[in-house]
This record gives sequence, C-alpha cells and structure tokens, in this order.
Amino acid sequence: MTDLPPPALRLTVTHGALELTVDVAGDLDLDTHDHLVETVTEQLARHPEARGVRLDFTELSWIDSVGLSALLMVHRRTRAAGRALYLDNRSALLERLLRQTGTLGHLTARPGRGEGATGANAT
Amino acid sequence: MTARFPHNHRKRLASCGSMRDCCRKTSVVRCREVVGRVRGASPRVFGTSGSPVDPPSAAVSVGAAWAHAPYPVIVADRDGALVELNDAAQVLWTDAARGDRLDDTVPTWLADAHGRFADGTREGTGLASGAVADRFFEAHPTPADDGDVVWWLVDDTDRRLAEAALTGARQRTALLADVSSQLLSTLNVTRCMEATARMATDHLAEAALLVAPPQGRRHQLTYAYRGGPVTRVTAPVDVHAVPGLAEALQGFPPVPARWINPADLPGWVQPADFAGPVGSVIVTPLPGHGVPAGALILLRSSGEQAFSGDEELFARLFAARAGAALSAARLYTEQASITATLMRELLPPRLESVHGVEYAGAYRPARDNERIGGDFYDVHPGTDPGEETLVVLGDVAGKGLDAAVLTGKIRNTLHALLPLATDHERTLTLLNSALLSSHHTRFATLVLASVRRRGSKVELRLTSAGHLAPLIVRGDGSVEETATRGSLIGALPKVTSATANVTLRPGETCLLYTDGVTEARGGPLGDELFGDDRLKRVLAECAGMPAEAVVERIQMLAAQWVGSGSHDDVATVAISAPRAADLTVAGGQGRAGGTTYRRNG
Repeated sequence: MTDLPPPALRLTVTHGALELTVDVAGDLDLDTHDHLVETVTEQLARHPEARGVRLDFTELSWIDSVGLSALLMVHRRTRAAGRALYLDNRSALLERLLRQTGTLGHLTARPGRGEGATGANAT
Repeated sequence: MTARFPHNHRKRLASCGSMRDCCRKTSVVRCREVVGRVRGASPRVFGTSGSPVDPPSAAVSVGAAWAHAPYPVIVADRDGALVELNDAAQVLWTDAARGDRLDDTVPTWLADAHGRFADGTREGTGLASGAVADRFFEAHPTPADDGDVVWWLVDDTDRRLAEAALTGARQRTALLADVSSQLLSTLNVTRCMEATARMATDHLAEAALLVAPPQGRRHQLTYAYRGGPVTRVTAPVDVHAVPGLAEALQGFPPVPARWINPADLPGWVQPADFAGPVGSVIVTPLPGHGVPAGALILLRSSGEQAFSGDEELFARLFAARAGAALSAARLYTEQASITATLMRELLPPRLESVHGVEYAGAYRPARDNERIGGDFYDVHPGTDPGEETLVVLGDVAGKGLDAAVLTGKIRNTLHALLPLATDHERTLTLLNSALLSSHHTRFATLVLASVRRRGSKVELRLTSAGHLAPLIVRGDGSVEETATRGSLIGALPKVTSATANVTLRPGETCLLYTDGVTEARGGPLGDELFGDDRLKRVLAECAGMPAEAVVERIQMLAAQWVGSGSHDDVATVAISAPRAADLTVAGGQGRAGGTTYRRNG
C-alpha cells in the first residue's frame, strides 16, 4: 500500500481564528471535484465560528470545467451559510478559465456587493 | 501359486507340503483343516480330461478354500467340457453340472475365450470379459495340467457402473460448459433462443420448443427438430393449454414430466417435422435475472425412451444455463435500444450549405465507443434567405451520458427560444433560468452565431456564453479572435454577455470550437497541450479552404496530436462565405438544406 501514487487532488485544511484555509493542490477535475465540495461542506458544518473560507490555489496544477463547477458549488454553499469565499493565489490557468467563463466577478464578489447568495435560491 | 491350486490338489492330494504352498495365500489354520480332510479322503487322481469327474471326491479334494471363494471359478478341459465349478459359479449358472458343454452353459464370450486358450491361439494372458446375466465379469484363465483351464471370474459390475456414471457426469459437465460458452458468445436474443433450441434437440430431446415471455398477447416460439432447421414464429398462443407452461413462464419450478399427459398437448407445441405422437414431455422454466427468460418444452415421440429422472434434472440444469444467457442477451438488447433511441436525439446533425453560407461540423466524443458526449452543435436555418440562421456550439461540464442528457435539454430549450434569437443576451438569460438548479452547478458554455448572407459577404453576430471566442480566418491567412465575452449558462443567477459583429468576405471562415481542441494533450513529448497558438497557426494554413476542409483538418490534427492517449470531446463548426465561383452552387443547395433541417421542428 505504501507504493500508491499521491492522490490527484490534495486538500490541506488549516483553521485560523476566523477563517478556514484550504490548500488545493493537484488536479481539480472530473475525478476529484467531489472531494473539494465534500471537504468544504464538512468543514463549514464543523466550524460555525469561521466567517470565511479561503481556497489557496498556489499548488493547483490543473482545473477543467467540472472543477469550475465544483468551485461554483463551493461558492454557493459558503454563501448559503453566510460566509465569504476567497480564491487566493490564482494561477494563470485558473484566472483565464474564470475570465473566459465570466465567473471571476461572481466568485470573487464580496457579500452585499451584487450577485450575493441568490444562487442558492435558484430553482 | 494360487492359480495352480486346483491342479495341485488333484495331483498330489496327500502332500501336505504342497498344500502348505498353496495355502500360504489363505491361512495356516485353513491349511491344517484342509490337510486333515484330505487325509481322510482317498488319494485319488482325477481321470483324464474329458472323462466324467467324481463329484463328491472332487468337492472334498478341491476343498473349501476355493469352493467357497467369493468369486466364481470354473474348470474346463481342453475339449470344452465343464470339469468343476465352485459355489459362486453355481449361483451364476444354477443349472450347470460337471460334464456339461461350456458352449451350452456359459455365455459365448467365455466359451470362445476358453476355446482360444485351450488350443493355444490366445493372445496375451487370455483375459476375457463380458456379461453374465446382469453382471459383468473379467475372466482370468490359468492353465492346469492335462490341458485343463481354470477360469477365475472377477465381478467388475460396480466398477463398470461407476465408470459409466463418471463418464456420464463428465459428458454432462462438458455439455453444460459448451452450452454456456455457445450461448454467452452471443448477445443477440434471437440467436440465443435458436442456439438453445438447437442444443436441446442435439443433446436432450427429439424436438424442442422455446416459448419467450409474452409481448402483449403474442409469444415468440422457436422450434427445433433433431436434424432439421430451427424455425421461429410469433403467435398469440394459449399457454394455459400446455400443462405447466403458464407456471414455467412465471418462473415456478417445473412439474414432473410424468404428471404431464402427452395426449393433452395442443398441436402448436410440435414442430412441423415431428413425426409420431408425443411420448414424453418436459416443461421447464428458463430462469433469468429476477424475471423468467421464457420456458423450454422438450418432446420425445412415443417410439423413444421416456425422459428419466436424471434427464429431467439435467434438463433443468441446461435450462438454468440457457436462461442466464438469454436474460443477459435480453438486458443487453434493451440497453442497446435505449442508448440507440437516446443517441438518435443527441447526435449532432449533418451540416450543409444553407441560404448561401457553407456550414461544416465535426464531432469526436471523449470515449470512442460512445458517440455522444458533452459537446454539441446545431444549425437552425432561417425561414428564408433574408432571415438569420442560428448556429450553436457548446460544451457541458462532464462527459458521457449525463453530459449528453444536459446537452439534449439545452438544444431543445434553444430550439424553443429560436423566435427570440435576434436578441442573444435575452436568449441566454432565458436559457440560463431554464437550466438553473439548486441541486448542482453543472453548467454549459456555448457560442451563439446568427448568420446572414448579404451580397457576396456573410454577416455574423457572435456571442460567447463563457465559451472560447470564435476564430476568424481572413483571406490573407491572418487569424483573429472575436471580441465577445459572456458568462457561462446554468450556474449563475444572472448572466451577462457582449456580442461581436463580424463580416466574412468570400473564402473567409469563422471557426467555433470546444476546448477539446486546444486542451488536446499529446504531441512529440506526450504531455503538451495543443494550445491556442498552434490552433491559430493551423488555421492560418486553412485560409481559403472550404468549411468542410477546415473542420476535417482541425479534427485530424487534434486527433494526431493526442495519438492513442485519452482526449476530451472535440467539436468544431466552420462557417464560411463561399468563394465567388461557388456562389450559384451554394445558393442552389441552400433551399434543400433548409428543408432538411426542418426535421428538428
């Protein structure tokens, strides 16, 4: 079992005083997107005191459309829980994907400034 | 030594030493006993061969050792007359008496073997074997003096029966394995039913009828007759007319064959070639995965042996294998037909020229065995050449059937929104609200292109909804990226978009494509992206090419780039303004193309 290759997506969660930070390393794609959504959802439930969630993409090596779909879901869940979501250290690849798909503004908007938590109420 | 026992007895009756020799194989106690007896008897020597024997004396002199042996022993002289037989032999041939001719007493195989042994024409040991009444014996001859032959018979019946049973079991196992491998090699239900019926007549019965579960009130019937062809009929038959058939079709265990009166069977049960009246019947279910896969009726004419209990059991085993194979075939066929139905709706259309504009599209799904995936395109021709034709190319996040179903939803919704397509932003807003779901954030990115021919030029309004901006190949080989941006569809509460207006001169092309092209991973190093720059360089080489050729070339190069590696869906649509020389032809085809696409409505 020790010879297994490292997982395609590695998530490291650190708890600050008021914020949760999740280091997102590796590939965020069709095979791994569930892992990110589940991890953040679980951490939100476990740490009701945290006011915000920071996703750190320093070590993100790949993201595809399904990965972006996971980010949109994470955004929807954090906003629904009344917390802020920050996308830190966005790589050129991620930045380009967010700009191309017109989601950068949506994902990085501060609460109360426009497209807020309404996404969660969509039917 | 034992073999010479009777002979020694006769020749040296008084010799205890000889008796000891011969008794070593029995026991010392027995030897003493025999010796005692022998002493009391007259030391008589048997007469010459062929002469009558003195029975009491012989019985005494030969002694208990072989007279009471558990195996039959007979002694015959060289002329074929019975000299002696022990108790066990007497049980076999109750009427036999000393002096009888072997030919009249024992079975021919033994009498013949004796003849060969006595006159020396035997080969090898002279061992013979054959049946005596309902038992089976091996007869071992040993020569005695005077040309007499002692035949030692060993009962071989049980071994023979065990061997026969083992051989039978092996044959049945091999047959069942053969049945499974033959049936499982096809996933075609009809062929599977035919193979079942044919194998049933090869190995189990004279005729077989496979009754498939009803479709409505009709059953598919597959008839087989030994040595004849397999025939199929679909008919509304009354399954209650055959005892046990209705139950078998519901998967209940079969009724014993002896409970079914062959005279009660309706005529449709018998194949056309079946000659005589039915002598015996087996009706057995074909158990499937949860639901019965049908029932099998096996027939033998009255001329043949009725089905035995073993054969009934074997028929059930056969039916179990056949049922499993049939139900696998049926499940596969159902799934294949569902997939085919879905695919018909989800497959991208074939594109041609419409209203004087050339269109070409190509699509390669991520998995080569699925012809559908997350990319899609459609062309909705304007009602007349003055109206805009709407082209859509898009990409749903994800792969396979899930993604394909969402593409179907998007394509249908867009089709319904066609009357509003003059306003791209409004169309996208309506589409977005139709696709938003609280359960997931699965989204699509797409490009809308409204196309109209004006004179020799083609006017385009292009709007990207989170998709890669279309590329324009100019006549001079320059490649431009169109200035349209917008947000993706199906995940955000509000969408924004900016439309770009582009004019194509004759020979110029606009390419809509999905990221399957630019994100194709491969190349000489195996892990390099095809990338935007390479795509632009390749497109520059396509200047002046017809739409069809541009699409073919991009698809081919992307496929070559990936090689044998895995790839995402790749969809490309080219919109071209025909060169001046092509105008009349393209215009002529326009009407025909326009009618073709009405099928979507």
